[in-house]
Amino acid sequence: MADKVSDSGWREAPKLRDMTEFRFSASTCQVEGELVPVAEINLSPQDGVYFEHHVMLWKDQTVPLSSLRTAGGMKRTLGGMPHIVTVANGPGRIAFSHNHPGELVVLPLHPGMELDVREHAFLLASHSIQYSFVRIKGLANVLHGGSGMWMDRFITAGYPGLLMLHGAGDVLERTLRPGEKILVEPGGFLYKDSSVQMQAMQLPVKIGMMRHIYMAEMTGPGRVGIQSMYVHHHAGE
Amino acid sequence: MNQYTCPYCRQPSDPSNPTCPLCGAPVDIRATVSDSGWVEQPAIRDMARLQFGQSHVQITGTRVPTAEFTLAPQDWIYFSHHVLLWSEPQVQMQTMKLKGGWNRVMAGMPLYMLQAQGPGHIALSDNHAGEIVALPLHHGQSMWVKEHRFLTSTGNVTYDWDSNHVWFTTGTGDDKEWHYPMGQYGDTFTASGGPGLLLLHSPGNAFIRDLQHGQSLLVQPSSLLYKDISVRMHLHLEYPRNHGFAFWSGNLDYRQIWVRLHGPGRVAVTSVFQPAEECEPITDFSYNTTSHRW
Repeated sequence: MADKVSDSGWREAPKLRDMTEFRFSASTCQVEGELVPVAEINLSPQDGVYFEHHVMLWKDQTVPLSSLRTAGGMKRTLGGMPHIVTVANGPGRIAFSHNHPGELVVLPLHPGMELDVREHAFLLASHSIQYSFVRIKGLANVLHGGSGMWMDRFITAGYPGLLMLHGAGDVLERTLRPGEKILVEPGGFLYKDSSVQMQAMQLPVKIGMMRHIYMAEMTGPGRVGIQSMYVHHHAGE
Repeated sequence: MNQYTCPYCRQPSDPSNPTCPLCGAPVDIRATVSDSGWVEQPAIRDMARLQFGQSHVQITGTRVPTAEFTLAPQDWIYFSHHVLLWSEPQVQMQTMKLKGGWNRVMAGMPLYMLQAQGPGHIALSDNHAGEIVALPLHHGQSMWVKEHRFLTSTGNVTYDWDSNHVWFTTGTGDDKEWHYPMGQYGDTFTASGGPGLLLLHSPGNAFIRDLQHGQSLLVQPSSLLYKDISVRMHLHLEYPRNHGFAFWSGNLDYRQIWVRLHGPGRVAVTSVFQPAEECEPITDFSYNTTSHRW
């Protein structure tokens, strides 16, 4: 499959063909459908995945579920984020999907990696990946940054893991050099390496009385992933 | 001399490229034409480039495609601020105020547009699954576009808007409600001072048809994407025959709302539309409305 890179350096996430199958740990994942794709996991007995409960499409009766409480419960709840994620353990089959057109982004994480993901874009992660979150600091970010108050942070310690995201629309990735900047519509932000700095930036243009446009200024080094379908959060009073 | 004319954008084009350099339509495919004469607009291929002025735009993605512009210093584009996806910091942006502000606000249309001037890269996308439709316009050519379908245009394409004159009301007195089945206003774009490029977002697949002089057609009002300004339109109401299942309700309640298009000219529709809801009796309608009772 050709590596598709636009003139300005954005690389398209590879389109997963219908029924594509790949392995992680001792388990397999098969991707079904192309418009609103489904990730069907065949978990081996020693493996597990965790996810937000609303993305579970179906599962074998025998697959046990458990809850995993995250830190910062009340604050996350007030921010519209779940403070409990659900864990499914093998053996058995379980399937996940979001409910809007887009594509699944498969991000194998090597030991020692840190990745920040916009809220609610996370579909599932293998149990070897540590899950935390970053509260986006600064009032300007809270009010005007479309990525809201929280970003999920995924860290691999000693073992590799698999992280799957759902990008709305098409997903593009670009690698920023140290100090290189790009302005991204906050609603279009999908993920970034934790080394990439992100802050809300007011553009020097007005779109009405006291209304400005805000973009997310991303500063390298590291990868930035965006999605082409988004809820825009440009205007702030 | 190049005799090839792109069947989709109708402009002289180059058949040696895999895609039309003006509208991005694939050159090496056979046209898909329905029995009734609708031509399916082929999606612009991923990574296809369209040339305009000294600049070009590259279409990336296929589900919710992005229009990524490489702007030369002398070129600029304008667009509604909510379609801006990303931009390089050196791209100069400023607001472009539009006439008739109050009416635009009341109709739910953007009050301002943004201008982006090269040099630099900037990318735009609508936030719905669909296709980008590219309409290259030759000098002086105008195109009518349904509201909220506009994505962006080159700076030499002028923008105007006017009432569609397609409306009806339900209820009376304090309960009177106005309905605009294809939106209250439509956009008109005209290339001036040279060829221009207009990009639209079609929320589904797009289909084109050429109406002959005197030929007319009924389409779902919200499915209309664009049309030549020579094509006239008005509201058409159709009342299906009442077979007695709803004898307690007047047959005025059961109607189909169409927009009737009159040729000559090209029209385009999209496969995603919002059917008209509710069935209260219509109490008034735009002046040139026609109706048919089966």
